[in-house]
Amino acid sequence: MADVLTKPFRRRATPMNLRLWLPLVWIAVVAAAALFAPFIAPHDPLAQDLMLERLPPAFMDGSEPGHWLGTDSLGRDVLSRMIYGARIALFVSLIAATATCIFGSTLGLIAGFYGGWPDRIISRLVDIWMAFPPVLFAVLLVAVMGTGLGSVIAAIALIDWTRFARVIRAETMVQARMDYVDSARIGGARRAATLVSEILPNVLPSIIALLMLEMGIAVIVEAILSFVNLSISSDDPTWGSMIAEGRGSIHFAWWVLLFPLITLFLTVLSFSTLGEGLKQHFDPVHK
Amino acid sequence: MTSTHPTAQTLDIIKLNVRLANGRRLLRDVSLTLKPGEVRALVGESGAGKSMIGKAVLGILPNNLDISEGEIILEGAHLNAMTPSTRRKTVAKMSSLIPQDPLTALNPVRKIGPQITDPLIRIHGWSADRAMKRARDLLDRVHIRAPERVMASYPHELSGGMRQRILIAAAFAPSPRLIVADEPTTALDVTVQKQILKLIRELQRETGTAVLFVTHDMGVVAKISQQVTVLFAGRVMEDAPTQQVFEAPSHPYTQALIKATPTLNAVTKSFSPVPAELIAELHSDIAKIDAAYDAGDRA
Repeated sequence: MADVLTKPFRRRATPMNLRLWLPLVWIAVVAAAALFAPFIAPHDPLAQDLMLERLPPAFMDGSEPGHWLGTDSLGRDVLSRMIYGARIALFVSLIAATATCIFGSTLGLIAGFYGGWPDRIISRLVDIWMAFPPVLFAVLLVAVMGTGLGSVIAAIALIDWTRFARVIRAETMVQARMDYVDSARIGGARRAATLVSEILPNVLPSIIALLMLEMGIAVIVEAILSFVNLSISSDDPTWGSMIAEGRGSIHFAWWVLLFPLITLFLTVLSFSTLGEGLKQHFDPVHK
Repeated sequence: MTSTHPTAQTLDIIKLNVRLANGRRLLRDVSLTLKPGEVRALVGESGAGKSMIGKAVLGILPNNLDISEGEIILEGAHLNAMTPSTRRKTVAKMSSLIPQDPLTALNPVRKIGPQITDPLIRIHGWSADRAMKRARDLLDRVHIRAPERVMASYPHELSGGMRQRILIAAAFAPSPRLIVADEPTTALDVTVQKQILKLIRELQRETGTAVLFVTHDMGVVAKISQQVTVLFAGRVMEDAPTQQVFEAPSHPYTQALIKATPTLNAVTKSFSPVPAELIAELHSDIAKIDAAYDAGDRA
């Protein structure tokens, strides 16, 4: 009996969470490709060879050894371009999503916690912001600021902060009404301190889930802007520009379009699934 | 702030008025006192403002409410005259709360231990070791069988009754002069209710802490309190020793309230709620009082 009382509570061994691990593995693969691109890529992503244009992937007839996923209309290696494309995709998603997250979540926390006029100003701003069609807004912003990665990142943060602000505001309002916030205040905590020490930890799982979702969205937005040639120069390998280029030759060289598309799809799907998985993982109540 | 009050009351509320931003009064000239070591029950139907009095004392009124008039004197300190920061520290030093709902009163993502020791360390300046020991002792006192283990647990790992006992331990841990118990048994089932009530009464007697006990249950009032304040629509209807309230209630509302309480040998008799005519009459009285008050305001 005494033995039972001193042992810690046995936390249920959770079965391996596939929603967490599958996307993590894929993202790790993409991240490794991005980090070690110069060592992994079999060819220079920019090297053209018009003698070797539109070569099919290695498992088809007429392929050339060394070009595993074939070549595009300028004879550039598809696999190498995809590996270098991962660099741009991940860089943009990491920076843009983090910036969006910090900006939007802060405004959401303030609006939800303080209510009153800060809430009214932030909420109206969100309403106005969300009335703009986002893609058009992004195209306009980049057109004004000029093309380039910096503009792409700024455009994502400027458009999508509303997603964080709205969700985090609502969650903060729910948590702020909980009795434990009052208890902390009676225990002598300053009002602003309860926001950081009591409420933020409870909202954090949602912030992380949204952050992951936003990384996926950032990858898509970057691809869209590359597709319409508003990201970086079309020479540079990005998944979006590869898809744009492959579109023209889909009937006789489908691989130029399909492989970057699948990569993009899996990466975005992984980010959003990972977000959900992490949320469950961090929430002690649902553990 | 060193202003002191001549009487040796733990809590002295004088003509307290709380109102909404739009000017509507929710507490109307509420006065009550609490001697050291006394338990005063605050009773009334929902919406009568009984919890609000506790919240006004502890400084946790919702944003849209404020204290428009009146004095709250806690251990001789005039709370309403203080800066928010001094008020917060004074309240934290002198008082604590046993909340209504044990399921939301503990932060779900923090372990139990720090939630008890935080105020001890922050406000009373105790060392972490001393605070931990105090928390352990009190958890032991409220019959938590494995204090160490519980302190390392998250709230969702514990039952509602256990959490309420933890909250009682946390409330008594800093040896406060005043505890506001805001319907501490409402969210619990009947068997656990009895246990919790017994614990609060025992600890209150051992420590001599004054308790402002908010409840709507006349049965609980009879068990725990020495004094009763009956509220209706934010106004004090009756303020008397508990025994007197039960034996010879002077106000018609109190009489109706006691009649409306089901007892074991009266369950077969027809249940008699507070008569609607009486409630209507009381409301019209209050409307008159409010009109006079507003006229005085303008003058």
